[in-house]
Amino acid sequence: MARTVLIVDDHPSFRASARRVLEDAGYEVIGEAPDGASALAAIGAHRPDVVLLDVQLPDIDGFDVAARVTGHDDAPVVVLTSSRDGSDFGGMVIRSGARGFIAKAELSGPRLEALLT
Amino acid sequence: MIGLRRALIALGAGAFALGLAAIPVVLTSNHVRPRGLALAMFLAIGWSFTSVGLVLWWKRPQNPAGMLMSAVGLTWLVSSLSASSNGYLIFIGLAFGALPYGLLGLMLLSFPDGRLHTRLEWAVAIGAVLDVTILQWAPLFFLQFAHTSDCRRCQANPLLISDDSSLFHLLQKVNTGLAVILIAALIVALVKRWRSYRPRERPALAPVLWTGGAALAALAAAFTAALSGLNQASGGSAVSDIALLLVPYAFLGGMLRSRFTRAGAVSELVASLNAAPEHRRGLRDALADAFGDPSLVLAYWLPERERYVDAAGRDITLPDGSGHRTWTPVERNGAPLAAIVHDASLAEERDLLETAGAAAGLALENERLHVELRARVEELERSRERIIEAGLAERRKLERNLHDGAQQRLVALALTMRLAHDRVDHDPKGARELLEEAAVELDSATSELRELARGIHPAVLSERGLPAAVKALASRVPVPVQIVETPAERLPPVVETAGYYVIAEALTNITRYAHASTARVSVSRNNGSVTVEVTDDGDGGAEPAQGTGLRGLADRVAALDGRLEVESSAGHGTTIRARIPCVSS
Repeated sequence: MARTVLIVDDHPSFRASARRVLEDAGYEVIGEAPDGASALAAIGAHRPDVVLLDVQLPDIDGFDVAARVTGHDDAPVVVLTSSRDGSDFGGMVIRSGARGFIAKAELSGPRLEALLT
Repeated sequence: MIGLRRALIALGAGAFALGLAAIPVVLTSNHVRPRGLALAMFLAIGWSFTSVGLVLWWKRPQNPAGMLMSAVGLTWLVSSLSASSNGYLIFIGLAFGALPYGLLGLMLLSFPDGRLHTRLEWAVAIGAVLDVTILQWAPLFFLQFAHTSDCRRCQANPLLISDDSSLFHLLQKVNTGLAVILIAALIVALVKRWRSYRPRERPALAPVLWTGGAALAALAAAFTAALSGLNQASGGSAVSDIALLLVPYAFLGGMLRSRFTRAGAVSELVASLNAAPEHRRGLRDALADAFGDPSLVLAYWLPERERYVDAAGRDITLPDGSGHRTWTPVERNGAPLAAIVHDASLAEERDLLETAGAAAGLALENERLHVELRARVEELERSRERIIEAGLAERRKLERNLHDGAQQRLVALALTMRLAHDRVDHDPKGARELLEEAAVELDSATSELRELARGIHPAVLSERGLPAAVKALASRVPVPVQIVETPAERLPPVVETAGYYVIAEALTNITRYAHASTARVSVSRNNGSVTVEVTDDGDGGAEPAQGTGLRGLADRVAALDGRLEVESSAGHGTTIRARIPCVSS
């Protein structure tokens, strides 16, 4: 059964591109959210396996969203993403409870799979 | 002033006539002894108070001291009628008998600024008024003059309600008892007032407060010693009279002393201004000392800004004169130079202040130049801070624009290219579609980057100069723009850039807010400066202070030592004009 993914980003163009990349790689994209608040609501409603979460959101910081949804048994795997380089964020990615980071321009099925397994 | 002068002359003549009328009354009195001395005291006190009071009233019409002193003299003269043997005149004389003391009390309480300051002073003043009027008059209706020991041959009291000597004495005791309490309270109030004065002010005030206080204290002592009898009721003791006689002269002495002190201080001020630099004191300190007002402040007029500033170059609002502070203008060659902000009580010394200001004119002019320089430096510092802040804000905006715009498009482009790469073998048609999509995305990204670059610095300006850049600007706004004039030669880059942004901001404002049908742009160079002017025929009413855009422009222009002017009355369009110094290159 395909892994389910929620894409959280405030740029519609990136959400559309990411959906196409992930669906091409065999993932099932079950929803999109443009900000932190709607992301939290969608995670509660759809219980996705994976959340592809942009760091810079218009309301709640991506690190905060990650910290809130991880840390319990049936928590989704959170993968942070940004158009900035991962090294800009230092150890914040791991401290937030996220599994890892993928730069937006480098998003692909194999890169995501590598983090999940 | 002519009306006041006539009224004062009439009052003086009236006082003189009253004095003359008192002469036969006192000299033929059947109950005043010794008559000669009594007459001398009546006239000396009455005329002294009236004459000094009228002069003071004339010189200082705003201060009630002159009026009160004149009233003391006049009522004193009227009270001499109690020496008559006529029943009506005795009654009038006795009714006026305590008024001079009440008026003297008010004069002392309100000395020297003409105001009552504390609750105690107000209470004493109100009590004094009641005591010398109603409480003084009430017993008179129960006193049969002929029944008193020293007035057996006097006529009957024509206003007698009842010949009730016990009631008379009771009311009299209440009256004099209250008078003693009030005089004691007044002396407490005067001592408190005395303590509140600065040591250098005390010498001028001492004679008045102490002679007046002594007169009333002697009166209180006399009242305390004997709370009954016609003489006490009509006017107190000989000691009190002598102290009273000294009050007007003490007042004159105090005034002269104060004036001499201050005039002397002004002379010292002038001398100190001419002293060698190492002995010269600060102008403000010298003026503050000369006028005994440590709170004195100098405000300097900056003609360019059309406002007053303090010594540090900060804007200052002059007091409107309604409170305890007021100001005296200092002019030089008919133009405002400075303002001396001082305690309102010094307003009476305005002529001396003006003299001091005129004497210090050159020094004030020098200080003003320093202050002007400081104000300019301060303005430049503020403007520099705003420019730095605006620069940081621009960088943040640029980062945001890059992040949200071109960077997102390039990210999408990368993902699309990767998808196309993955599909090229098994789905060549799909890969081609993705590549076409990528090409469109790339065009959009290029176009956004071009716009962004132009916002950072217009390449056409640096490559082809202001005329071409202005044409490019004009072509991009929806309002028809007439370019009246641009300089043929290239201007220094900083001047070109500042001029360009003035025009760009003005045209943006016209497009957004002005509802204009046309706009005119001109850039002219003459007399070592470049004038950039943008005019429209729109709504007008622009407020430079409210918009960050125009203030940013003003800062940019000020950084080049230039000046931005905005003329924008409602309904008459807007003209934005920048004058930027530009020496020939």
